[in-house]
Formats: sequence, structure tokens, C-alpha cells
Amino acid sequence: MQMTVVEAWIEGPLKRFVDDAGAELALLLHPSGQVLAQHGFAREVDVMTACALAAGIQASSAELGRQLDGRPFRGLHHSGRTRQIFLAEAQSPRGAFVFLTVFGPESSLGLVRLYFEELVKGLAAAAPPLEATAGPALAEHFERDLNRNLAVLFGRA
Amino acid sequence: MTARPFASILDGLTRQRWVTAALVVSERDGIVVESNLRIGQSGDRMAALAASLYRKARLSAKAAGLGAVSFMQLEAPGGRICAVGGGDLVLVVVAEPAVNVGLVRVELLRAVGELLAIGGDVVG
Repeated sequence: MQMTVVEAWIEGPLKRFVDDAGAELALLLHPSGQVLAQHGFAREVDVMTACALAAGIQASSAELGRQLDGRPFRGLHHSGRTRQIFLAEAQSPRGAFVFLTVFGPESSLGLVRLYFEELVKGLAAAAPPLEATAGPALAEHFERDLNRNLAVLFGRA
Repeated sequence: MTARPFASILDGLTRQRWVTAALVVSERDGIVVESNLRIGQSGDRMAALAASLYRKARLSAKAAGLGAVSFMQLEAPGGRICAVGGGDLVLVVVAEPAVNVGLVRVELLRAVGELLAIGGDVVG
């Protein structure tokens, strides 16, 4: 399965995560739903759907955590019959990202959590300094940026 | 139900000379169920890696027609990891290289029955 990234510095840490944790799918996105990197997806529409859902779930669970515990829940795990989902916030010097991964019986939640911690450290180490302040998450150019990122990931740029 | 159902098993193992940690781990999830650790040891890391190793050994033995894994040992310059399985649980011991593996093996195999009994109660 091919890995594609919008920004090159993400590729190394993400590839190490996929190799070490044995993940089937991996997705790194901005909390707004803008995709930054993907592994294992074959179609743009699947990436777009997964990003929208992951951003929505992360926002909802963070707010639920704030309501219940005064601070956001940072991770979520769902175990299906054969595959499992792990969704968590990945803090980096370039701000918070959302990370979604799907893994099968070859891996485990323990391994995914372990290598997710290393992914976060790897992203923090690899991230170049911010050149300018990022714009608002839902700016008027959201769709244009989303389409540009998808085009980069799927070789249309 | 006590807060530490596996305490007697883990205490018995960590009393052995050169044993540095003992953990009960979920084989499927690689998550710590209960542990006796020294300060500074990462139980989550040990649990995830040992459970993954045990699971792969169990599946490999089965695929090779060798039957069930009764005891697994990993020997490395910095120490040893020993593991036995009971149901969905794995009992893991981390020890210094100088440990008496025979003694640890006997203790682990003795503990499997207890692990199964308590594990059944915990899960059930």
C-alpha cells in the first residue's frame, strides 16, 4: 500500500509508525478535516470521508471530555470483530493534529499506543518551524485547500 | 472482587532473585491488567511488546504443528523475558541475565492454573 503526504517531513515518522505498529490504514489530518497524510487508502472519496468523520468524532469526544472531566478526551479506541480503530490527538510544534489508524489482529492496541507515542515524538522532532500563523480552520478557502491536498496525495497535482 | 486480583501471583514471581518485573497482560490488546514494576520501568511498553511476541510465538507454534506454547523465553544481553499464557491473559516476567530460568519457569507454570481461575472470574 502506498503512503502519500502533503508535507514531506511527515513521511518518515508516519512510515515508521505503519511499519512498527503493523497498521493497515493511517491518516493524519488537521482538526478542521484537512488531510495531511494517508497510508493504505485507495480512493480520494474514502480519505475525504474518513477525514470528515475523524475530525467530527475527535471534536465531539473532546467536548464530551470537557463537559464530564473539565478537559478534553485525547484518544478513542473502538474494537470491531476483526479490525480496530484508534483515534487520537497528536500535538506537535505546528499545532494539534488528529491521527486515525485502523489495525487488524496482527497488531494490538498496546502496540498502537506505544508507537503512537513515538510517532508524536517523531513528528515533533521532524516538524520545520512555522513560517506564518495558520489561518482560521474553516476559512473561505477550505474546499480549495482540501482539493489541493487530495490532488497531492493521489498524484493529480 | 479485590482491586488487585493477581497480586499473590505477581508478588510470588517478583520475590524471585533477579526478577525485576512481573505483569499480567491481555494477549489480544497488549494492555497491562496488573503489574509489579520497579520505579522507572515502563509497564505499557513491556506489556505491548511481550504480548505481541507471545501471540506471534503461539501462532507460529500452532502453524508449525507444534501444539500450544507452554513457556516462552527471550534471552538478550540486558536481560530475559519469560512468558506463559492462560486464556486471553499472558503472565510475563522480566529478569536480569543472571536469573535462574528453571526456577522462574516452574513458578510461571505453577501460576498458570491460578491465572486461569482468577482470569475467568475477572472476565466473567
